[in-house]
Amino acid sequence: MAAFEPVLTRNVGKPEALSVRGYRQGGGYEGLAKSLKMEPDAVIEEVKKSGLRGRGGAGFSAGLKWSFIPKGKDKPKYLVCNADESEPGTFKDRLLMEHDPHQLIEGCAICCWAVSAATCYIYIRGEYTQAAATLERALKEAYEQGILGDSVMGSGFKLDMYVHRGAGAYICGEETGMLESLEGKRGQPRVKPPFPAVVGAFGSPTVINNVETLCNVPHIIVRGADWYKGIGTDERNTGPKLYAISGHVERPGTYEYPIGVTFRELLDGAGGMWKGRTLKAFIPGGASAPILKADQIDIKMDFDTVAKAGSMLGSAAVIVMDETTCMVRSVARLSKFFNHESCGQCTPCREGTNWMELVLKRLEHGEGTERDAQLLLSICKNIGGNSLCALGDAAIGPVKSLVDRFPEEIHQHVRDRACPFPKQRYFSNGA
Amino acid sequence: MPKVTINDRTVEVEAGTNLVDAAMKVGVQIPHYCYHPRLSVVGQCRMCLVKIEGMPKLQAGCSTPVVKDGMVVRTDVPEVAEAQKGMMEFFLLNHPLDCPICDQAGECGLQDYSFKHGVAYSRFQYEDKRTYPGRERIPLGANVLLNMNRCIQCTRCVRFTQEVTKTAELGFFNRGARTEIGTFPGKELNNDLATCVVDICPVGALTSTRFRFAERVFYLDKKPSLCTGCEVGCNITVEHRRGSIKRYKPRFNVDVNDYWMCDYGRSTFELYKTTPRLVTPRVRAEGGNGHSPVTPTSWKDALDAVARRLRGNQETVAFLGSGFLTTEEAYLFGQLADLAGSPHRSVPVDLGDPHTIPRHGQPPISGREAAPNRRGAELAGLAPGIADGKAMTGELLTSDELVHGDGASRCSALVVCDSYFSRAAYDPAVVERLRKAKFLVVFGWADSPLAQAADVALPVATHTEKEGTFVNVEHRVQRFDRAFPAQGQVRPGVEVLSDLLSRFDAKWANLSAGAVFDRLAATVPAFAGLSWHTLPATGAPLHLAGVPGDAIAAETAPGTGIE
Amino acid sequence: MSVSEPQVKRAVLPEAARAELDEIRKRYPTNEAALLPALHIAQREWGGWLPDEAIEAVAHELALAPAKVYGVVTFYDLYHQKPVGRHRIRVCTNLSCQLRGSEEIMETLHQELGVGEDEVTPDGRCSFIHFECLGSCDTAPMMMVDEEYQENLTPNRVRQILKGLK
Repeated sequence: MAAFEPVLTRNVGKPEALSVRGYRQGGGYEGLAKSLKMEPDAVIEEVKKSGLRGRGGAGFSAGLKWSFIPKGKDKPKYLVCNADESEPGTFKDRLLMEHDPHQLIEGCAICCWAVSAATCYIYIRGEYTQAAATLERALKEAYEQGILGDSVMGSGFKLDMYVHRGAGAYICGEETGMLESLEGKRGQPRVKPPFPAVVGAFGSPTVINNVETLCNVPHIIVRGADWYKGIGTDERNTGPKLYAISGHVERPGTYEYPIGVTFRELLDGAGGMWKGRTLKAFIPGGASAPILKADQIDIKMDFDTVAKAGSMLGSAAVIVMDETTCMVRSVARLSKFFNHESCGQCTPCREGTNWMELVLKRLEHGEGTERDAQLLLSICKNIGGNSLCALGDAAIGPVKSLVDRFPEEIHQHVRDRACPFPKQRYFSNGA
Repeated sequence: MPKVTINDRTVEVEAGTNLVDAAMKVGVQIPHYCYHPRLSVVGQCRMCLVKIEGMPKLQAGCSTPVVKDGMVVRTDVPEVAEAQKGMMEFFLLNHPLDCPICDQAGECGLQDYSFKHGVAYSRFQYEDKRTYPGRERIPLGANVLLNMNRCIQCTRCVRFTQEVTKTAELGFFNRGARTEIGTFPGKELNNDLATCVVDICPVGALTSTRFRFAERVFYLDKKPSLCTGCEVGCNITVEHRRGSIKRYKPRFNVDVNDYWMCDYGRSTFELYKTTPRLVTPRVRAEGGNGHSPVTPTSWKDALDAVARRLRGNQETVAFLGSGFLTTEEAYLFGQLADLAGSPHRSVPVDLGDPHTIPRHGQPPISGREAAPNRRGAELAGLAPGIADGKAMTGELLTSDELVHGDGASRCSALVVCDSYFSRAAYDPAVVERLRKAKFLVVFGWADSPLAQAADVALPVATHTEKEGTFVNVEHRVQRFDRAFPAQGQVRPGVEVLSDLLSRFDAKWANLSAGAVFDRLAATVPAFAGLSWHTLPATGAPLHLAGVPGDAIAAETAPGTGIE
Repeated sequence: MSVSEPQVKRAVLPEAARAELDEIRKRYPTNEAALLPALHIAQREWGGWLPDEAIEAVAHELALAPAKVYGVVTFYDLYHQKPVGRHRIRVCTNLSCQLRGSEEIMETLHQELGVGEDEVTPDGRCSFIHFECLGSCDTAPMMMVDEEYQENLTPNRVRQILKGLK
């Protein structure tokens, strides 16, 4: 395959890009300048044509989402950039914000022009203090340079962009949970419909897009949808993708590939298995993604291929596990996460995630019974599809995959009344 | 209007109606906890999941509006039953088995749906239930107690204080399985409608301090009635066990009190239980100027004594009415006053703190008068200065002169229509002034100091022991029925007055409250066209053109936080 | 005014903080939307946690019901309702960090500080808690100390960091 030139991460490691001038020198803000000369609908069409799918986890067509915003002028429009990035295993948005804030600002500005939004909030998780500070500095300079404010680049288009810090809740990454939190309330997801495109922030039509999604937009405008479509697997899986790989690999980090790179390639690119150990399992797309076994090592990491294999690409947060890993213990930790993060509104998620954590804890500590595997599946069945938002469905992903794909491991815990995998010590004395 | 088909039954509904309400119109009950017609839709409890043709996942009925034709809904399929079972299991997972000690047993949403939609066994065997240590009996205010372990987090109570009373004392705290409801530390839930959260709580998490452990609900007889706390006339249910009232609960009336009633109104039945009652007619021996001994007598003797004194030439006979009289009783008292040729009538009422009830789609209703029927009593014949339908001039002995002045000393006879017409009846100075009348007749249920000072004391029923009508602050006449019979010698006021009046003219004999109402409707213009048997269950507005008196505007209540 | 009338003192945000909040309020069409930023500011003013008086001060400043603000405070992990150490440590123990030794980092902290999770050292210097994924899985195991990420930890590195905390 021809050498792939990084698109989204081209400015990583270039501190000069943190200033407007430095960013411009690399071709930055050309996309915004070009968009301002296009009709907003034409911008939407270009993004639609590119096949850009949401990079936050849902994989919904970005252009299509933008086209849902009504054209009427009776209500202000908003863009909310989802920088909440709390899916375990995901850290790619942080990289983008800390190293190339103007790329995000430009992407947001183009989107605002396309949907006639005069205000953009970058909802960033509260823990990302450095990224928030970097963005604030970049925004300040953008205002000073006339890129934001009363007349974006002199076009007469008024745009305000602000950073809004969250306060520590994964559920605020859910789009309506985010809107509630933005409005100063508990981040509890809303009943849908109405959808945010109709009733979003402050009762007005709102687009919500992930950081990485928006960072793609300037490049699509500058280099064209056709160029963008040329990257990736097929017309439904296009563009460059950031893969955040962690766990038992030699060089954990964020790597940019055309979407659809195989897991094997991704693993090799990250230095291969940690300490040369054997791959046992991997999560392809964050904590909500069903776990895949080692035999899936050649799977193409795009939306559709991973979905067909019984998992999801999600945020492309890849967690690698070697042969020393206890799958029950790993899933128990994930179910603890979902229990902690459940907002508590709806009954199946509030009670079900709590119950699953308790059952898995029992199993982990050798207090499980033969019926627990079926019990877990039954709980998953009662949560799935019945919860108010997608967190319920997310929580059951890893649990179902544990029971379906690693039944023997559960059985061992029950039979031996103990975890068959010794607790790993990663640091020797004096480390 | 769009049509929707639910379990093969099609119905036309207003656009925007949700499926829970639409299903009710065709007799299909979709179980639900968090949904309430007066609260925002949150779709949280997930109990109302239904199958909609063409949609892969089950949908929450409460948050699915009918907007156009063609929706086909099923609740009678295995998928829905499985979901309901699953939800019930989740609800009961961490719920304590408190039924034997929980007030809610018998009217509990978990019990009812468990029976209908749940399973009879628990799979939660090896884990500990989540509890809220130290939150098992927290007074949220004077009238409401919280047991957080029982809460199913439906958030009705929180939304009630945010959206209905707009006082926002309650909040939803923490997250996930630790969510709980409560007040800000140190603050209390003490708004006028606080106990309404107990009504809307589907389980025994919120209980009424007054009703706690008072009675098992399955032993309660429930009879529709009206509250007598003030002039709003909230529709209530009197819940009693063999004549011992255990509580009042509000009854839905969209024109008066919607789904609500105030805490003060709920407390008013206690007066009936703690106030010593008049149990037998009593007559004071003649002579002795009001201080001769009093003896119990028969009804016949008592009424004869009254008739004797009211007949013939009387210089001044005054009638002190009461806002607690039913319209029918007031009408008969008015007739008695007409027979005695007396224009000296009035209906005193105490003024108290305003009680305001928010309503749906109209301004709130509010009342300051601490009795239910001053208006009805005045319209029926006790308005000052009117005798035989004609206005009278000259000096009038109204309640001001009688209660606060020396008017009673100028009376040859004073008929007090209610021994507890106001707090003044318990004021010794007032009793002393009223006792100056030469002949004092007191009707009433309370054995007040005024009744004890009477020459003839006549025991009549409380409003729960009789039927009648009250006219509320908006001039709506509402009918109430008897909750349970009076005991012993006590008789309903209409019966007593009919008996008394028949001694003057046989046309008054053996009248029921209904018959009196119909007569009154034939003569009093405000009631024209109404009849006892056709009075709508939610009451009827009166015709007030040309009637002097207050307008129908409801007052807003300052300082209660209710708009 | 009589001498014996009780004075109910309500805590208020310091002047500079109110000015900061007033600037932030301009960003939103509603008063309520400034609540999360306001709580971050208040928490900073009150030494890293939010006692009831701080919550009431914010509620009063934004004209919101105290119960509502309390609900917001208790919902989010970054708002603390108990006193914290001068230095607040949050150790990620989610899966990627668990796979690279977060448990031993927790053990080290427990050993070095001599207190359990969510407790403050007697000299008020430090407190530590486990936390969910902080978005730094490529530098696992890691922790957040006050506002900074400390990454690629080993027990020795942790001890070094602790020494530098006054």
